[in-house]
Amino acid sequence: MKRAQIQIGETIAVLFVFFILIVIGFIFYVKVIKSNIELETEELSQLRSVGISQKIMFLPEVQCSEDNIVIDNCIDILKLNSAQSIMKENEIYYYDLLEFSDVSISEIYPDGAKWNLYSRKIENFRSKFVTNVPISLYDPATRKHGFGILTIETLFK
Amino acid sequence: MINKKGFEIQFNWIFVLVAGAAIILFFTVVVIKQKSVSETSTKATVLKSMEAIITGAGVSTDTTNVIDIPDSDIEVNCGRVSIGGVSKSYQSLLLFAPSLIKGNKLVTQTLAFSVPYRAANLLYITSPQLRYIIIGDSELAKEINRSMPSELKKEFHKSVPEIKNLNNYKIRFVLFGNIIDFPKALEKMPDSDVTAIKIDGNSEKGTIEFWQKEGNSWLPKGTSPYIGKQSLIGAVYADTIDVYECNMRNAFSRLNLVTKIYDERTKKLMEGAVLANQFECSQFYSNALNQLNSIFAASSNFNKENIDVISDSARLLSGENRNAQIYSCTLIY
Repeated sequence: MKRAQIQIGETIAVLFVFFILIVIGFIFYVKVIKSNIELETEELSQLRSVGISQKIMFLPEVQCSEDNIVIDNCIDILKLNSAQSIMKENEIYYYDLLEFSDVSISEIYPDGAKWNLYSRKIENFRSKFVTNVPISLYDPATRKHGFGILTIETLFK
Repeated sequence: MINKKGFEIQFNWIFVLVAGAAIILFFTVVVIKQKSVSETSTKATVLKSMEAIITGAGVSTDTTNVIDIPDSDIEVNCGRVSIGGVSKSYQSLLLFAPSLIKGNKLVTQTLAFSVPYRAANLLYITSPQLRYIIIGDSELAKEINRSMPSELKKEFHKSVPEIKNLNNYKIRFVLFGNIIDFPKALEKMPDSDVTAIKIDGNSEKGTIEFWQKEGNSWLPKGTSPYIGKQSLIGAVYADTIDVYECNMRNAFSRLNLVTKIYDERTKKLMEGAVLANQFECSQFYSNALNQLNSIFAASSNFNKENIDVISDSARLLSGENRNAQIYSCTLIY
């Protein structure tokens, strides 16, 4: 073999190793980026879940108010009874606010009543978050407060 | 003639050149791709912040915030927020903002849309680089000036001042008297960047005329009604009549749904009052039901006639709520 041929062979070998190293580096980089994206997507889903829970807690459709002064963590039972059917009738409108989620309220005291405020689920969800919020249930007809749990289940593709 | 050794040396150089070019090309492609990914990622981050702002502001009333964001141009349209090629659509967004928000800071404000009960929260977003010039001597002018955050570049004048160009990317005039002569100093600015509204009414209701620069004069862009100070402030922030009306239509849709709930709630309260022989209370609820029904019917469409109906009914409903309070009845709202 001539010297020039050996030199070309050496150059090709160096280039081959160089490209192999680049490919390995690239694969590693893509893996890191992919895991970062997955982490960010998970974070975003959690953020959206918290956002949806916040929106529900402050819906004027169910929130207690006294002379237009809002009472935090309190749900008006009379509003809730009406909102249940109205939100179902206008599911598409509320989808913009509550996306794919299931919102239900369970009374713990004095009775064991249950309400399903909104339900729009998907089968093939990627992540699911459940948020439980203790709430006061106010009945304006009797002017009595009960105690309940607001369960918000959010689903993401 | 090139001998064999000479040919080998030349081939070696050509080979190195091709390999070098391939390596440079590879890295150039990687850098370009990475740059575009990074830009899209920044835009997506800003959009994510906008989503968080919209959610956060939607649940807290009467708040003002200044938020730091990466330097960007945010376009706000009817039900759509875009940053570069990244955008997010909303079906019933209540966001009053100029069509373009520039800079690395956002000023947000929220106010409750109450007629007279809270139906929704109105969100206002703008840039501190945008200049607001309020001209008027009325109580309403002073109230609007007080209601706007101090973090904004706003000026309040009782009479028409000498307007200078301070190199703001947009200027919004809020006029409580007649339309002013077009300021000479602003003639060189792009037409869509100088806009004005002329307000005729009080803090309860009225009409807003929208104007836009055309050369060295004003061009009328239409008239729209407002109900309450909150919707009037919405017209100050939204620089086109389309965005203002789109938001007001969305606010009316929500008012319609919330009114239906209050209507059914009041019916149940009335039934309870009748059963408990609370005649005064049942009378207040019965009167309130008439007002709620008229608000429900009028909130189906955003127009001046319906605003008149809602405004009158809201006043009467507020009176019934006060009566209910005096007689220790459960409040209507």
